[in-house]
Amino acid sequence: MKKLLEILEDIRPDVNFEEETALVTDGVLDSFDIVSIVGEINDQFDVDIYAEDLIPENFDSAEAMMKLIERHLDE
Amino acid sequence: MSLISLEFLVFLGITAIIYFLAPKKVQWIVLLIANYVFYAFAGAKYIPFLLYTTFTTYIGCLWLSKLNRKYKETLAELKGSLDREQKKRLKTASIRQKRWVVALVCVLNFGVLGLVKYSDFLVDNINGILSALSLPVLEMTVDWILPLGISFYTFQAIGYLVDVYRDQVEAERNFFKTALFLSFFPQLVQGPISRYEQLAHQLTEEHRFDYDRFKKGAYLILWGLFKKLVIAERIVRISNWVFNVENQATGVLIFIGAVAYSIRVYTDFSGGIDIARGAAQILGIELTQNFERPYFATTIGEFWRRWHMSLGSWFRDYVFYPLSLSKGLSKAGKWGRKYLGNYIGKLIPVLTSQFVVFTLIGVWHGSSWKYIAFGFYHGIMIVGGILLGPKLHKIGEDRGINMTSFGFRVFQILRTFIIVVFGRIFTMGNSLTQSMGYYAKSFQFDLDFLTDGLLSKWGFHRAEFLLLVAALFLLFIVSVLQERGMQIRDTLLKKHMLIQWMVYLALIFTVIIFGVYGYGYASSDFIYRGF
Repeated sequence: MKKLLEILEDIRPDVNFEEETALVTDGVLDSFDIVSIVGEINDQFDVDIYAEDLIPENFDSAEAMMKLIERHLDE
Repeated sequence: MSLISLEFLVFLGITAIIYFLAPKKVQWIVLLIANYVFYAFAGAKYIPFLLYTTFTTYIGCLWLSKLNRKYKETLAELKGSLDREQKKRLKTASIRQKRWVVALVCVLNFGVLGLVKYSDFLVDNINGILSALSLPVLEMTVDWILPLGISFYTFQAIGYLVDVYRDQVEAERNFFKTALFLSFFPQLVQGPISRYEQLAHQLTEEHRFDYDRFKKGAYLILWGLFKKLVIAERIVRISNWVFNVENQATGVLIFIGAVAYSIRVYTDFSGGIDIARGAAQILGIELTQNFERPYFATTIGEFWRRWHMSLGSWFRDYVFYPLSLSKGLSKAGKWGRKYLGNYIGKLIPVLTSQFVVFTLIGVWHGSSWKYIAFGFYHGIMIVGGILLGPKLHKIGEDRGINMTSFGFRVFQILRTFIIVVFGRIFTMGNSLTQSMGYYAKSFQFDLDFLTDGLLSKWGFHRAEFLLLVAALFLLFIVSVLQERGMQIRDTLLKKHMLIQWMVYLALIFTVIIFGVYGYGYASSDFIYRGF
């Protein structure tokens, strides 16, 4: 989780990822942020997150993203 | 049947009556029949095209559904005995099969769309090259018919197909319900492009007549008619005059013409969408928003999130994300980070995809180089915005400019508006060459126009021009209220009956008396109808 927060804060230092729970639904993150975040996650966690995972539920909060990463690591 | 004709209102009325009187269980069938009756009015010869897309999409989705099931069953059976590598291979194999299905259906449908919309363009360009090389040209132009709404229903179908591929929705097993989803009459002419998850269930659910909902739908239709008939059809005289080469407009006039056109295309398109959404609402169905006061956007990126929203989000979910996360671009990104630095490297996938998306959006608008240039222009603006944004922000900070002030926001809105208006000029000529001519002429300054009796040249009496200004002012006020979050129709419905009726009657009379009706309805047709 710490690694994830580092990635997120690097891309958008102005967002409070520990508290936000509607990052996509409220438009806090735009499509470029999402792509940058996924690129970093794929790299650093060695997973393959594709476009089909890009639904709001998976990216609305740091917890949701962590769960997505864990699901991919489990496969 | 044009959305602004009396026939449409009558059709809507009859459909609504039958729809709500019918036994709830067959309501969706009534709707399906209504859809095809509507489409038949547009041209029975187009029906085979719609059925073709419906059929290929239906089969494709069932096939994908079967592949999804097979993968999940195999995975469940062998779960314990597979290691990570083997699970990955199973997944890749399944994905590869599914991709073939998607590719096939895409080729079958985009192929037809391409043929019907773009083959003449392609042949013309090939001939251009051939004749430059003194080779014989191709005698291949066919007078293709353009099925009504093909650009919209094709995109809607493929969106549904990809959603099934991604296992985000269940494929519809009933062919007729699939047909219902792809033929919903209010959205056939010019969208919005709907998502399966949002729309499909609404079409098959039962709906009861609701008087409040009917009123809201009626208001929306009236507002759309107001935008289209009172504003769009009037202000078009300005842009038509400016962009008629015979009038030799120069300098500021070209900019004024472009502004007029920008207002026209907004009121025309969003007016049509309002009518579509209002009609759907009367039937109890909610179509997604397509516009959100786009000219109040503070950046070009934001503009495209407020303009033709259903097209923008379609491209985002089905082109931008898959492309920018694709293996090819990820590798390019890594390469970029190694040799060009972290900052640029990370941007390569995003910038490339954005550029592709906007060029495609340009192409979607029509088969002409001027539209491709239009797309390119916006691509460059967006990419420029991403690259320069942080630097400009820093300059602003260093100069002590308050970037959250209302004044700054107004500056941003005007800046964005000018960028958008300027881009529209690409689409004003009959060809790219002519459009470039307009750009060149806009730099010739000539102030004679101020005294030349411009209004009458444009075809306005003073009173009528003032009417246009008043209508624009009303549109502006309503837009500002909406931007502040006011739900206008909900607020109206809470007011006294007398006030509600006064607003209805005011709108109806304004539309009837001040609406501009062309000869028959040909010249009042919606711009986006030919898509």
